[in-house]
Amino acid sequence: MLHAETNLTSVPDYVLRPPAGFYRALNPATKLVIALCTAALAFVLRGWLAPILALVVVGATVARARLGRAFLPFVLATLPLLVSIVLINTFLYPGATDTLFVVGPFRATGSGLTVAGQASLRILAFALSVAVFALTTPTDDLLADLERRGLGRRASFVVGAAIQTIPRLAARAGEVADSQRARALDTQGSPWRRIRGIVPLAGPMISGALSEVEERTMALEARAFSAPARRATLRPMPDDQAQRVGRWLFGLATVVLIVATITGRLALP
Amino acid sequence: MIDVQGVSHVYPDGTRALDRVDLLIPDGDRLAIIGQNGSGKSTLVRHFNGLLRPTEGRVLLDGRPTADRRVAALAARVGLAFQDPDRQIFAGRVRTEVAFGPRNLGLRGAALETAVSGALASVGLVEQAERNPYDLGFSSRKLLALASVLAMGTPTVVFDEPTTGQDLRGAERIQAIVAELAAAGRTVIAISHDMRFVAESFARVVVMRAGRVILDGTPAEVFAEANWEELAGTYVEPPLAARIGARLGLGSTPTDGALIEALVGRSA
Ligand SMILES: Nc1ncnc2c1ncn2[C@@H]1O[C@H](COP(=O)(O)OP(=O)(O)OP(=O)(O)O)[C@@H](O)[C@H]1O
Ligand SMILES: [Mg+2]
Repeated sequence: MLHAETNLTSVPDYVLRPPAGFYRALNPATKLVIALCTAALAFVLRGWLAPILALVVVGATVARARLGRAFLPFVLATLPLLVSIVLINTFLYPGATDTLFVVGPFRATGSGLTVAGQASLRILAFALSVAVFALTTPTDDLLADLERRGLGRRASFVVGAAIQTIPRLAARAGEVADSQRARALDTQGSPWRRIRGIVPLAGPMISGALSEVEERTMALEARAFSAPARRATLRPMPDDQAQRVGRWLFGLATVVLIVATITGRLALP
Repeated sequence: MIDVQGVSHVYPDGTRALDRVDLLIPDGDRLAIIGQNGSGKSTLVRHFNGLLRPTEGRVLLDGRPTADRRVAALAARVGLAFQDPDRQIFAGRVRTEVAFGPRNLGLRGAALETAVSGALASVGLVEQAERNPYDLGFSSRKLLALASVLAMGTPTVVFDEPTTGQDLRGAERIQAIVAELAAAGRTVIAISHDMRFVAESFARVVVMRAGRVILDGTPAEVFAEANWEELAGTYVEPPLAARIGARLGLGSTPTDGALIEALVGRSA
């Protein structure tokens, strides 16, 4: 499943396909708002409903953007986290007594499993909404757009660097997986075997992502990134009234939902 | 034996990286693959262990098509070390990293120990065995990546640009590894942009351009003056010894040894 015999796309999807279709043609800022709000909702709201809804939204965007398998590496990247969350919560959830089954000294509890399931869904929804955005939006477009809107250059860089790391990570994931498979790592077979296979994949990916951000910072500085001049952009960025309104409404709704949840006024199933 | 038969490879984005390549690599061959950036060298060697599958044509490994075999199984026959060590090193200790491949192949206990120590000795990292790979410099990490493939003891070993980032000592080490593998009768294949290394260490040179093999022969044949124009077409400059030899009218002298020999022969 993980990397079966597929060749992971090692090039960000937007390079391969020019923006076309409803989702891709949206203004970068609209896509950013959708991604951030979905991610925030998935993360903050408790229960089953919110993460499931977020996953539905993300799923719909993935389908609209015709991403295919390109986002698989992101699912993969969350796996170590998911596995540990499921194990820890299922077996070690504090105070839970509704025992399901016992493995040696460990008791699996129903409430632990519930918490684990909800947390896993939240993390998946969070990772995927950011991934979809990153894979379909040329970062240059986003940065140019944010800057035009008056966001400081430093701030837009932080946003950019964070997002740009993601397609790089996808490219890297393919190469890392290839290296380990060349050393006979078998990602097929029993679940245990697959779980063990994650360490050699996740390690070089994470360390690589960190060093790439560092390199990017230096490369940008070398190109006079902090020079105090205003730059002109060449590409027109489509934006319209409907998108502006949509962005504000979605953003506002998200804030309301989050505040309502945090203050305990809203309890979703 | 690796038999590449009419292999083309088209990436999902439509890039045709290989264009009907035919190549027979007998057991014990010592083969260098050269050619400009993007000519398809890495794509070609990824077909040897099944990481990539031909879009057209087929690859036979020891007479059997690779198409229906898993990479994990093919990796026992063909070890491939990638260009960038940082895209493979994951372990917290040098020794564990080197043990990863042979362990995946099922080696345990004393056999595993022997494989790991042997590989560490070949690359000169015995003393660093207990250290963290990320405390080593880039060139040592690259040697570590080579060791982790050597330790698998595969009959064929493929190195993708082993000498980049190596100083003279590292490059000599790698030349020694190639010689050692060849002496043991194993097939050694390397991709390289380092023409001196290619001429000194390999018995056969395959030149690629735009997804095709354009020259194939001994270093003396490939680097002969008659081919220079063709080599320039794929941005390859013959080794210095070959250029000096040709300039002095000594024929094709791709290695320092051959050049000196020819010079001695002439003055005698
Ligand atoms: N994953 C990929 N997706 C799409 N195109 C690719 C991919 N990998 C390589 N290519 C393209 O295929 C062609 C051959 O690439 P390859 O990496 O095999 O060249 P190479 O000879 O190894 O080059 P170099 O000397 O730079 O390593 C190039 O045009 C490259 O851009
Ligand atoms: Mg290459």
